[in-house]
Amino acid sequence: MSTLLQLQDVSVSFGGFKAVRDLSLDIKKGELRCLIGPNGAGKTTALDLICGKVQPTGGQIRLGDVNVTDMEDYEIARAGIGRKFQIPSVFKQLTVRENLEVADCRNTGVFWNFFHAPGGSERSLEELAEFVGLKDHLDEPAEYLSHGQTQWLEIALLLAQDADLILLDEPTAGMTAQETRKTAEICLQLRGKHTIIVVEHDMGFVKEIGDVISVMHQGQLLAEGSVAEIEKDKKVREVYLGTSGISHA
Amino acid sequence: MATTVNFMKSKMKTKTIMQIAVYAAVCLAILLLPLYAQDDFLLNRIARYLVLAMVAMALSLSWGYAGILNLGQAMSFGIGSYCMAMALKLRTVPVHTGTEGLPDFMVWNNVETLPWFWKPFYSMPFALLAGLLIPALIACILGWFMFRGRVTGVFVAIITLAAMIVLSLLIIDQQQYTGGFNGITDLAQLELFGIVFDAYSSNTYFLVAISLTVCLFLALALTKTKGGLILQAIRDQESRVRYFGYDVALYQTAVFGVSAAIAGLAGMLYTVVMEFASPTFLSVQLSLSIVIWCAVGGRQSLLGAMLGAILVAGMQGALSESEVFLESWTLIMGGLFVLIVLFLPNGLASLVDIAAERFRRRQHDATTQDEPAPSAELSEGKL
Repeated sequence: MSTLLQLQDVSVSFGGFKAVRDLSLDIKKGELRCLIGPNGAGKTTALDLICGKVQPTGGQIRLGDVNVTDMEDYEIARAGIGRKFQIPSVFKQLTVRENLEVADCRNTGVFWNFFHAPGGSERSLEELAEFVGLKDHLDEPAEYLSHGQTQWLEIALLLAQDADLILLDEPTAGMTAQETRKTAEICLQLRGKHTIIVVEHDMGFVKEIGDVISVMHQGQLLAEGSVAEIEKDKKVREVYLGTSGISHA
Repeated sequence: MATTVNFMKSKMKTKTIMQIAVYAAVCLAILLLPLYAQDDFLLNRIARYLVLAMVAMALSLSWGYAGILNLGQAMSFGIGSYCMAMALKLRTVPVHTGTEGLPDFMVWNNVETLPWFWKPFYSMPFALLAGLLIPALIACILGWFMFRGRVTGVFVAIITLAAMIVLSLLIIDQQQYTGGFNGITDLAQLELFGIVFDAYSSNTYFLVAISLTVCLFLALALTKTKGGLILQAIRDQESRVRYFGYDVALYQTAVFGVSAAIAGLAGMLYTVVMEFASPTFLSVQLSLSIVIWCAVGGRQSLLGAMLGAILVAGMQGALSESEVFLESWTLIMGGLFVLIVLFLPNGLASLVDIAAERFRRRQHDATTQDEPAPSAELSEGKL
């Protein structure tokens, strides 16, 4: 399989503090990659770098054949990268349907959008809502949704956006065990069609979905491999304070 | 399940149709008003309120829908009104110099030739276009710098306010070209397609009422497009919209420009209705009043903002002229604003939503009560 996303020695520092240093990642097309690591390891910053929220101070980020290192955030989104934020961020005053319509961004031109009514592909948006279990809430404002529903709505927004590469930042944060399982199901269904990078703390969730896991520590890549390999890795055990390794993290 | 979805969808459509019907009814009432009010003085005054309603509606478009609080809305309004005043001034025959002479205030200020930027205003089509496009262009340039630089919230308010004050000081300072503090007075009557628009006539009233109706429905159509939806999304979560690939700054600049063009048109009409243009049209006071009208009427509703302006400006007029409230009217208006901000943060327009919610809940209660109804009947039978 061909490489979709490539990070080459990417670094960023905030006022002298190197949040990410010389990070290199190769993500293949259709892969579901988990990014784990202790607090402050630079996982969220890594996602920020990929989606253009933060400009790297060194290194190069390529999406397919496109160099997205110096692009504006909205240009990177157009190139095919979608992002789910750690704090669920949806449009609270808009209904679920309207949220999905905004996310359906095949045409981003100002003039086109001011001369076209929303709802060009109504059916598929309804299917998406059904996929994440929000079909009965289509005409409710997003602010009335529960926390878990808001998380799923944001995932549905990413699907409506139909990005090649989806970045999920702690998609199960604040979810019940049941909701977490459902989120894992959604992730597994997406694998193959989309390339996904998940940042997550919940090891049960990671074990359930992960093919390849990348472990970060102090802004650097510490280890990379399958769940079994990572669990045996000595360095990873040292980093996760409980010396029994990630299995109990 | 499919039927509920269809039902919900039809409910959404009904909501839009209801909205259009209410908007149309209000516009119709405005257009039919001269049948009942034939007093030209009264018509002129109402026309004035309608013009102010138009500016409030324009602000609602940028503030209520896109979250851009423009405290310099009166700048676009003032530019429009000066464009119209310049064109009409050139159509008056100056008393001192006769036809083709200089406007009177220029003569008083020892100006010998008409300045270059006055000359195009001999052409009425140019003046009309200028009144629309110059405010829009200035807004777009200002907006481009602000929104490209990702300036948001209160800083937008400060920048727009400052820009307006700069322009108003410039107008006051350049007395020989602008009439300074006195503004531009003693204007000819506007004549378009052979129709003369005397400020105190139903002609002018209809001109204002029709312009307002057209602008209102254009703005409503704009909010119903996908772009309108994106604007509301930007209002809710600006950064999120960027990660869908939309160039947020372009959308903000566009709505800022459209809002300024409507305000410019309102300014032109204001000159026709008031028969003069003055630096007070670009004042901080007017700008803040526009914000208050929007807040009272409901900034997230175009019609709400419009009616808010008519209501507040109308009340101001009525109260300040009645002998009973001569001294206390500002206090009454102030109290009203405080009450509305406290109890109806989304303005009077939110009363409609609250009423609809009550109605829906009552219906919901009624249906849930229907279900255990048989047992209730039974127990009554027992009694």
